Amino acid sequence: MNATDGIGKQIFDWFDAQNWTPYPFQTQTWEACVKGKCGIVNAPTGSGKTFALFLGLLSAFHQSGHSPQKSGLKVIWISPIRALAKEIKISMERALNALDLSWQVAIRSGDTSTSARKKQWSSPPDILITTPESVHILMSKKGYAKYFIGLFGIVIDEWHELMGSKRGVQVELALSRLKSLNPGLLIWGISATIGNLHEALDVLLGPKGGRDGLLVTSDIRKEIAVHSIFPDNVEKYSWGGHLGIALADKIMPIIEGSASTLIFTNTRGQCEIWYQKILDLRPDLAGVIAMHHGSISRELRDWVEEALYDGRLKAVVCTSSLDLGVDFRPVETIIQIGSPKSVARFVQRAGRSGHQPEARSEIFFLPTHALELVEAAALRRAVSSGNIELRTPYLRSWDVLIQYLMTLAVSDGFDADQIYEEVKSTFCYSSMTRSEWKNLLNFLLHGSQSLKAYDEYKKVVIDNAIYRTTDRRIAQRHRMSIGTIVSEAMINVRFLSGGRIGAVEEWFASHLEPGDSFWFAGRPLELVMIKDMTMLVRKSKKVTRRIPSYLGGRLPLSSEMSEVLREKIYNYTQGKIEDAEVERLKPLWTMQNTLSILPREDEFLIEYFESKEGYHLLMYPFEGRFVHEGMGALLAKRITNKLSITFSIAMNDYGFELLSDKPIDVENIINKDLFSMKNLITDIQGSINATELARRKFRDIARISGLIFQGYPGKIKKQRHLQASSSLLFDVFRDYEPNSLLFLQTFDEVMTFQLEEARLRNALNRIQGQYLLFAYPSKPTPLAFPIIVDRMREKMTSEKLEDRIRKMTLDFTK
Amino acid sequence: MVINLQHQTFDLLPEKAILWKEKSSLLVADLHIGKTTHFRKSGIGIPPDMERQNYENLSTLILNHEVDRVIFLGDLFHSVHNAQWEVLNNMLDMFPEVTFDLVMGNHDILPYKMYLSSRLKIYDILDEPPFTLSHFPLANHAHYNICGHLHPAVVLKGTGKQRLKLPCFIFSERQGVLPSFGAFTGNAVIRPNNGDRVYVVTQDRVISLK
Repeated sequence: MNATDGIGKQIFDWFDAQNWTPYPFQTQTWEACVKGKCGIVNAPTGSGKTFALFLGLLSAFHQSGHSPQKSGLKVIWISPIRALAKEIKISMERALNALDLSWQVAIRSGDTSTSARKKQWSSPPDILITTPESVHILMSKKGYAKYFIGLFGIVIDEWHELMGSKRGVQVELALSRLKSLNPGLLIWGISATIGNLHEALDVLLGPKGGRDGLLVTSDIRKEIAVHSIFPDNVEKYSWGGHLGIALADKIMPIIEGSASTLIFTNTRGQCEIWYQKILDLRPDLAGVIAMHHGSISRELRDWVEEALYDGRLKAVVCTSSLDLGVDFRPVETIIQIGSPKSVARFVQRAGRSGHQPEARSEIFFLPTHALELVEAAALRRAVSSGNIELRTPYLRSWDVLIQYLMTLAVSDGFDADQIYEEVKSTFCYSSMTRSEWKNLLNFLLHGSQSLKAYDEYKKVVIDNAIYRTTDRRIAQRHRMSIGTIVSEAMINVRFLSGGRIGAVEEWFASHLEPGDSFWFAGRPLELVMIKDMTMLVRKSKKVTRRIPSYLGGRLPLSSEMSEVLREKIYNYTQGKIEDAEVERLKPLWTMQNTLSILPREDEFLIEYFESKEGYHLLMYPFEGRFVHEGMGALLAKRITNKLSITFSIAMNDYGFELLSDKPIDVENIINKDLFSMKNLITDIQGSINATELARRKFRDIARISGLIFQGYPGKIKKQRHLQASSSLLFDVFRDYEPNSLLFLQTFDEVMTFQLEEARLRNALNRIQGQYLLFAYPSKPTPLAFPIIVDRMREKMTSEKLEDRIRKMTLDFTK
Repeated sequence: MVINLQHQTFDLLPEKAILWKEKSSLLVADLHIGKTTHFRKSGIGIPPDMERQNYENLSTLILNHEVDRVIFLGDLFHSVHNAQWEVLNNMLDMFPEVTFDLVMGNHDILPYKMYLSSRLKIYDILDEPPFTLSHFPLANHAHYNICGHLHPAVVLKGTGKQRLKLPCFIFSERQGVLPSFGAFTGNAVIRPNNGDRVYVVTQDRVISLK
């Protein structure tokens, strides 16, 4: 950008007047925008990335000779987090003011009122801050093309977050359409540091555009200090806990010594329990501590965020709900309860403290069981070496594409050849074949990939070579279902006297009777009745330990973390102790060595013992729970090929257990062949069928692709005759249309995201080079114990169903 | 699996129907014919072949067991009219010697005259001593009540935390419930009481749970 002309000069003058100096990455971005380049800005939060891009787009707009007075939408700013939208709007308006531009900035999200949306549609703002879903909803309106023509620039904030999700695919598809409507559209992403920033560029701009894309990186780096909270006595500290409550008194001095502290927990249930515990220990903190998680009502969360922002809170117990969002300057210290599982998340959370320039981020790690202390050491190491995880983009997500095509069909209709080219230009669908495309169109036209079905199916018709939906009810249902975030069925929690507190999962509500008490949003509540999908409650005086839990999946230890973790353990076996954490665990290591063995780098440990539960076979690849789930299923499948036996599988991030009710001759049965890469996919998918993983995955795919209609928001389920469970649909596709792209996608997703195939292959490869070491401990070892405690059973069997049933007992509880 | 109930002989079939031997009658509940088509008409692309499965299963049973009478225990047709209604009637017409009775269920919402012009004889509740046949489980009934509606299934647990959900027949002291017959129907887990007789249905067998 040339500093002497027009708006460029105004920008520098404004910065001068504020006593600001632009960072090099900011001026670099401005220049790139003016040159008409697209790309990604990689900068931490609070470093001025909004100004980097917003001012860049303004200069570019100005220099391209457009008239700022021309009405119509000019800039879209996509932010996945609603909480950030307001702050972005304020920054933009501040800049517009300084530059004397009377552009209108509007926010459109799920919270925006119907009247405001109508106004945004009839007289478009100059700048729209919105979400990926909202862009698709706009595209489902008749005349959308006219609305978007004239768009000059689009920014995708927090691209690293979006990229690893189907919302990212939604962004790719929206961009493919917007680019086609507006050749020369400036597309920019904003991303935190991830392991695959260059790939992020390709995903954002398409494989073609990515080549010319620019990666602008700020050199602002923040120092992070990692401290562990040690139990007084490691031997006596829980081996298999998951709450860490026993160490609660140790965090009190930390809270005392800091202006404001964020305490991150990994689950909403854990968040509730910690909040309760802190209040138990320090009743005087009531009023200055709060809690924050995704199931608490928006209003309550907003209140907490504002109070935190204003420095009125001493501490907030939270979940990932506060990972992202606006900066809370009063926050000086972070406490992480339990393993954060990934380096990126840990760094992100640490970054929520120490906002003053040059201040370093302080983060305390509180282990929930003794072995987790090693993870603190691993984290410190990974943070210092900058070993940040990749974000795996979704590929060939047919469910999202079907939803998108429907979106176009219900608005202006689409030309199949043109949309094919656009879709094909995206990263996600670049490998799509003509015949796959044809199958998808068939699915829309005939309700089946194969052309055999000519019945009363009705969804999309071809009208003058344009694919469109003519049925208004179908169109309406589709508009209500746009989006890729699939949540559990939730029930609102509301006081009898009025006032929404939040929402709990339907299944939790179904286990409560009126009069029962439970703890939610930091207070004991009594259920009065359930009415119209709402739990009406009143405050309770009863002491209760009942806390809603949420079915959300637990994340695995990342590949990066696992690697450093293994290294820390192997180093210990070599006598190299680099961290206080590893040192403090000595008694545990010694016990492991006495009962069994602590494996060295070239050893793969297999433990086997009997208890009254059955016969336990344990192995320790240290590769994260997802890989262990896959490897466990694989081994179970391969063993059951040789023997008639039933296993149930349990795993944690360190290893897995195969439990059976029959003994096996381990040293004869277990050999390297079981870990072979041969027939890997066939064997795993054979086992997946039995382990129900795909069935669970199919739920999301069925909802996104419109096979399941979730009903109108806030209303009781209507159209009962159109309800079917995803599990039933899964069976139907398996039995009647197993080559359906949607059905096949389920297995691809399970392989990539659920079982992390790439990591699994690496792990199997590593084991091939290791020596299989058998140990027969007399009781569960320190490594085995957490797995046995932390059971999540999957079944895997080769026995005949009838034999199994004979061995089973009827379960009289639901 | 042959059982004795109220001094009558019931053959519990793995196709999820009951053959009442003394009366050469077939009891079936919850077919939900036309459900797939109902979904498809609303733009939900369920594989269409399932409809055929229902007819195949039903006609095979009628032929193999030389049945004189079929009693549908409700939810025969899933929702409002679609072309499957005619397909169903064509199928019924293939068995001119067989009587077809329908005890109405909550899904049987077609206009009355459609039933009248079909081969079906319709009832709200059908007293067929020593049984009272209904769709919903009845609270007050003259005889032993046989019904559908619930789509019952039980969860079995074994060692090593195995878990298995299977559709079932369940007979308590005064009431018996059939599993749903339809190919495109789900099921609901029920909690049997002590003393209930439960028979689970696997791929090709009916097994008694003790």
